[in-house]
Order: sequence, then structure tokens, then C-alpha cells
Amino acid sequence: MKVLQKNTIYLNIIIYSVIILLIFPLAVMFMWSFARSWPWPYLLPQDFGLRGWKYFFNPTSKALFTLFLSVLLSLIVTIVTLVLSIPAAKSLAFYNFRGKAFFEIFILAPLIVPPIAVAMGIHVQFIKLGLADSFLGVVLVHLIPSLPYGIRILTNVFQAIGEKIELQARVLGANWWQAFIFVTLPLIAPGLVSVGSLIFIISFSQYFLTFLIGGGQVVTFPMLLLPYIQSGDRMMAGVFSSVFVLTALLFFIIVEKTIKSHYSSREYFYF
Amino acid sequence: MDSKLKPYMLLLPAIIVLLGIFMAGLLSALVQSLGYFPVVGLKKITFEYYLEVFKNQDFLKSLFFSLYISLTSSVAAVIIGVLLAYLIVKSQYKEGIETVLYKLPIIVPHMVAALLIFNILSQSGILPRIFFNLGIIRDQSQFCNLVFDKNGIGIVTTYIWKEIPFVTMVVYTILNNLNKELLEVALNLGAKKWQGFIYVALPLLMPTIGSAFIIIFAFSFGAFEVPYLLGPTYPKALPVLAYTAYTNPDLTNRPYAMVISMILTIVSVILILLYTKFFRLLNDYNR
Repeated sequence: MKVLQKNTIYLNIIIYSVIILLIFPLAVMFMWSFARSWPWPYLLPQDFGLRGWKYFFNPTSKALFTLFLSVLLSLIVTIVTLVLSIPAAKSLAFYNFRGKAFFEIFILAPLIVPPIAVAMGIHVQFIKLGLADSFLGVVLVHLIPSLPYGIRILTNVFQAIGEKIELQARVLGANWWQAFIFVTLPLIAPGLVSVGSLIFIISFSQYFLTFLIGGGQVVTFPMLLLPYIQSGDRMMAGVFSSVFVLTALLFFIIVEKTIKSHYSSREYFYF
Repeated sequence: MDSKLKPYMLLLPAIIVLLGIFMAGLLSALVQSLGYFPVVGLKKITFEYYLEVFKNQDFLKSLFFSLYISLTSSVAAVIIGVLLAYLIVKSQYKEGIETVLYKLPIIVPHMVAALLIFNILSQSGILPRIFFNLGIIRDQSQFCNLVFDKNGIGIVTTYIWKEIPFVTMVVYTILNNLNKELLEVALNLGAKKWQGFIYVALPLLMPTIGSAFIIIFAFSFGAFEVPYLLGPTYPKALPVLAYTAYTNPDLTNRPYAMVISMILTIVSVILILLYTKFFRLLNDYNR
């Protein structure tokens, strides 16, 4: 018994050291955002201040507005991705048809092909179509890294639920949209929400696609942040990065709370 | 609706988007890489640009630099991630705070991850400060620079930090649902714990580990932000090199940018094919 306990202690020491190594850099960044002065070789800031945070919340800096715009953009991308993914995932989960294997690979291809190649290639066409430098163009190009995740994971969700319940509704006289709204949608809702938050994060973190296709006209939050990191302004970069991480975290928590209040039973969670 | 057509109809909207943007973008890049760029009067289809790029020393250095970064960081992230997942499953508290905390880096974008590593590893970062306070170094300049360095330590560390939780999360989910009886049978038959892990759990996990490896390898090979922020000026990572050529004000240079991004694409696809082939062989052998 004693040997067992000793083993558990070692196990926990290893687990916690890895976790601390993973968390520690985030703590340092958060500390930098409040540092007025943190010279070499001190391990802690010598003076604290709120200059960066004041700048962030000051309306003239437009930082809050950009954050709002970014969240809006990513929400739109998330909704469009889900709308496109639900039927596609259903098809891949429930039907056997010619070329299915091909479609499965094709849908995952954007995960393998570097987005930089696709974005540079499509840029000329987007300029010709008037989609470059526009909000719509950025939404469209964000769909590319999002769709593979949306379709793949929702396919698993549909497979886990099975087709029988929806078919039963149809047999009992529901037409297809009634069956979808009242039966399928509530069943896949938890899965939908977790895929949704993943896609939100993917879109919210995009820099290169937005920067190239948006052409500096569509300014999202990562585009405000990058210059601070590049110039090595650790205090300002710390503030903007903290906001970034906290926004994503808040989004996750809200989403998590919403599912939990609707579905108290844990068997609805697939991830 | 004709039931034979239905699955295709359901797929259609997503496929239209993928064809219209993803495939169109890729084809457009391919055509431009072959020297067809009528906007600036380039209309001759030619392999010249490919030949020229392959003779270029800077390009070859960048190619090896990018391969080295992706391979090193992905292998390290997979090894550490799998071990962490195994340890978490073995430790008894499954709903504890650690199972939430380790996931934090997943929501941190790569750009911020680069900042985090810069804060730790640069010459004025936390690590040299700790070394100084421990008396290991006496001056800032004694700490060799680990960001913007030719070995790409900063880039590799950033990717490892970012990808460990991803690997852990994916493997943990599978490992936790694994048929525990298989492991117990092995232990009953006299296998040691590490043997149970290597010969029973690991083979069952291989498909998961493999796909996680593919995703993080392909991502780091084609991603722009981290090498752009933490990479050395020479050699540049391949995506950064492609972008530099792309932003050249002389538009007749455009085909070079496209050649580089096509090579990025081709290398990724070849590696994935090789991997699946290897994997299939491994599977056949195991059977």
C-alpha cells in the first residue's frame, strides 16, 4: 500500500510540473500587462501601473471597438460554418454513396494544405470580384480553415446519435423540417455548441488570412496585437494578449454554462 | 427528393464553398507558379520558375529549416503529450483542476504563444533572470539568445508549448475510453506496467497519435506567424520566404512566391502520403 502511495506522489509531481510549465508563461504575460517598470535582473516587476489597460479601455484607441468587430466576425463565420456543416455531416454519417471516400478526404484537405498557398492564390480573383479588402471576403476565406473541423466533428456527433430517432419522428407524421427542429436539433445541440466554440477560436485567432484578404481595411484584434509583439513592447503586448485570452475564455465559459443549464444530464456530452 | 441524389445534395453547399475558394485558390496558385500572370503581361506557361527556385541556396536552406522545425516540434509535442495523457489517466482524480488547466494553451493563439516564449527565452526574459539570480550567469550577454536564433529554438519551443495540450486532449479522450480489460489481461499474464503501455495501449492509440501528428506537423510547416515573429532573418522559414516574395513591389516576382507556396503544399501532401503508406505497412505487419 505504501509503495502505491509513493507512486501516486511521483505521478502527481510529474503531472503538476508539466502543467506548471504550461501555465507559467501565461502568468508572466499577465504580470507584464501591469508592469510599469520591470528591469533586468528582477524576477518581479519593480513598479505596477495601469497605463496599458487604460489605453485599451480608452475609446480613442478604438481597441474595444476592434475587439467587438472581431467577435462579430468570428460569430458570423461560426454560424455560416455550422449551417454548411450540418447537412454535409449528416450526409457523411448516414449515407453510403459513390465517391464518399473522396469527399471525406477532400473535406479534410484544407487541414493539410497551407492556408498561405490558398490565400495568395485566391487573392487575385478576390480583387477582381471586389471581395478583397471587404468584410464579406474575410468571412469567406475564414470558412476554409473552419469547415474541416465543423464537418468532421459533426459527422462523429451524428454517428453517435444515429438516425433512428429522427426516422421515428418522420414515421409518426412529422415533416422533414419539424423532425429537424424538434428532434435532431435538440439532440445535436451540445455537439453543435462545442464545435461552435472551436470554430469561433479558429476564426478569432486568424492573422494571415485576414491580413492578406482584408488588406488592412478589415482590422481584427490579432492585427492590433501583432505590431506590439513585433516591436517587443511587452507591457502593451501583455495587455492585448490578456484581453485576447480572456475573451476566448469568457466565450467558452458562457457556452459551457448555457449547455449545462439546458442539459443537466452528462450523457449528452460528446467531447 | 431522389434518394440517390440526397447525400450529394446535402454535401453540395459545403463542397461549393470548398471548390470556389479552396480549390480555386490552389489552382490559381498553381497556374501563377507556372508563370501565367496576365495582370503584368506574363502569359507563357513554363517550369522556369520552379527550376530557378530549386537552384536557389536561400530556398533550399529555408526548406530544410522549415522541415527541421516542424519535425522536431511535432515529435517532441507528441511524445510529451502522450506521456502526459497516460499519466493523467493513471492518476485517479479525473475531474480535477489539472484536467482543465492543461487545456489553456489550446485557446491561446499562436501569435500570443510566440509572445509568451519571447518573455521567457529572450536575453531579458525570465529564464536568464532566474539563471542570474541563481548565480549561473553573471551578465545578460552570457545567456545565448534563444529567440531569433539560427537553430529556431524559440520557434520550436513555441510550437511544443502550444501543441502538447492538443495531443494530450485527443489521446486522453481515447485512452480513457479504451477497453481497460485488455490492459488487465496483459498485466495478469505477467506484463510489467511499462510493457502494458508499450505493447497494449500504444498500438491501440497509434491511429489517434498518427492523425494528431499529421495535423500539428502540417500546421507548423505552413504557418506564418510564429517564424515571422521569432525566426532569424536568415534562413527564413518557408512561409515567411513565400510572403516576402509575394510582397515584392515588382509584380513579375509573383510566380516565385507561388512556386514556394506550391512546394509547401506538395511537400505536405507527399509527407502525408508517405505517412499513410508507412502506417498501413505497420498495421499489416502487426496483424
